[in-house]
Amino acid sequence: MTEAETIYRLDAIRRTYQVGDEAVPALDGVELHIGDREFIAVVGSSGSGKSTLMHVLGFMDTPTSGRMWFEGDEVSTISRAHRAQLRATRIGFIFQAFNLLPKISVLQNVVLPLSYGRQRVPNANELGMQVLARVGMEHRHMHRPGQLSGGERQRVAIARALINRPRLILADEPTGNLDSKNRDRIMELFSSLLDEGITLALVTHDTEVAAYAQRQIKMQDGQIVEDQRR
Amino acid sequence: MNLAADIYMGAANGLREVWANKVRSLLSMGGIILGVAALVTMIGILQGMLGNMRASFELSGGILKLEVRAAEAPEWQQHISGISPGLTWQDTLAFERVIPLIAYVSPVVDLRWLRFSAAGERTRATVQGVSPDFFGIKAQEIVRGRTISDADIAARSPVVVLGSYVAERLFPDRDTSVGEQVRIDGKVFTVIGQLEHLEVMVAGRNTLRWENRRNYIPATTAMTRFNGDEKVSWIAVLGDSVEHLEDLQEQMNNTLAITHRGIEDYEVRTQHERLAEMQKLEDSFLYSMGGIAAISLLVGGIGIMNVMLASVSERIREVGVRKAIGARSHDIFLQFLAEAVVISVLGGLIGLVLSVGFLALAQNIIPDGASIDLIPAIAMFYGFLFSSLIGLLSGIYPALRAGRLDPIEALRYD
Repeated sequence: MTEAETIYRLDAIRRTYQVGDEAVPALDGVELHIGDREFIAVVGSSGSGKSTLMHVLGFMDTPTSGRMWFEGDEVSTISRAHRAQLRATRIGFIFQAFNLLPKISVLQNVVLPLSYGRQRVPNANELGMQVLARVGMEHRHMHRPGQLSGGERQRVAIARALINRPRLILADEPTGNLDSKNRDRIMELFSSLLDEGITLALVTHDTEVAAYAQRQIKMQDGQIVEDQRR
Repeated sequence: MNLAADIYMGAANGLREVWANKVRSLLSMGGIILGVAALVTMIGILQGMLGNMRASFELSGGILKLEVRAAEAPEWQQHISGISPGLTWQDTLAFERVIPLIAYVSPVVDLRWLRFSAAGERTRATVQGVSPDFFGIKAQEIVRGRTISDADIAARSPVVVLGSYVAERLFPDRDTSVGEQVRIDGKVFTVIGQLEHLEVMVAGRNTLRWENRRNYIPATTAMTRFNGDEKVSWIAVLGDSVEHLEDLQEQMNNTLAITHRGIEDYEVRTQHERLAEMQKLEDSFLYSMGGIAAISLLVGGIGIMNVMLASVSERIREVGVRKAIGARSHDIFLQFLAEAVVISVLGGLIGLVLSVGFLALAQNIIPDGASIDLIPAIAMFYGFLFSSLIGLLSGIYPALRAGRLDPIEALRYD
């Protein structure tokens, strides 16, 4: 993988949490390269460190030690504001619990990240409708999240993650609350995003979901114990 | 994105949240609504009352006017205060005889509200017993007939100069009431003159309407036919020039010291003192009302802070989501601060609307003599300004708490 094709490079990343007097490692010397347009599934048992890895990759958390590069720039010690800017412009998040804001409409939820994108988007609603159409939810744009099914909510959450044309989408158990039919629809949607130049990384317990990915990373005790490409 | 855009976005998000939580927002506005309504209403009433006082001040003689009023004798003279005859007709005569600096002097015998009747019509109005000089002091013209003359004083004539209120009510269909006979508390008087109608309109009401209800009879007639003694309520004096006012006041005090046999049971008031009193009254009203309004607004502010803190606690997960999709700490801070400001500004606006209603109500409840400005612009401006500031101040702490939330912890929060 050339430097240009690499989105992430993680070098001896450690993340420890202080529990009383004890420092508990959530990530313990992680070495990882993630290339452009890769579809990665991070698997592992509960407490293996996969969610912490997602948070570090998504600039929600900072490593305790080690070095990290994103799109060629070192980001190990960047400021909070810079991390927020990268979240707003380069990364899309998808959560197991959808995490849509319940009191605003589907369209308002989808365009919300644009208000944090550091520049005014004049045709935000138009763009929002396009992205909703991309996930097949444009007809529900005026509804509240509470009026949608689980699968529909996750599609709206995907639309929200896509609105800023991110380089990378990070998904934490995105199908954990869905039935098998909706799970397959969501995973097909994810797969289709690769054609749009988006890199995908998702955390899952579900082997069928992990099977959609081109690369599977298995974590255990804060370390990558297996890294398989198909 | 610059600060203006951040504030715009914060206010837009704030409005959206306020709209999404209408009942909670309305409840949290309660304190501010009542605070602003109380502030504006109180200032409006105060302004109306002070406006009336000023109009009355101008009408009653201006800066050259002095008044002698009865006062309690000082403590060291209390045991001999009985030797003073009090304020009497003799004081007026003494002023006329010995003080050349006086342009006009008149005793005033207040008879308060009396019953008027004539030609089957009845009404009630105030009557004052005065001398001819009184009409030189009071800035009100005679439009029909004549004023009280020295001959009326000497003869204790049963004559009356009517104000426009009584004239219109007793003789509604006549051009003039002069020459007619009226009964005042059952006693027959002949109308010799009619005063001009005074009118200063504020918010649709005549602030001088009580002046039009005043009627005048000779002081000597008032003393003999109503009171039965020579006592006067007060004495009105008009000086000949501003330069002589201090000397005049001194000469009046000297004269009164003699006529009252050294007992200081009187008070010579200049208009300066009345002006200072008005100012003092205005200040004390403003301080007390300002205090009440400040407490109301403070309570409103605490209410907003309380609701905002509860709102932050309820929306921890939302803060996590917003941070995950790119919001910075200061975006969250601005959003919650804008919500607090939006709540207080909306509360302030509702309070302003309410205050107009309260003022209209007050205008109908407060008796004659008080005219209230229904839209006191300056009070409204300050009410609005203070409510916005309260929102800003009370929103800072909850907004800081929201902004400082860790996104991962916030997303895990149930």
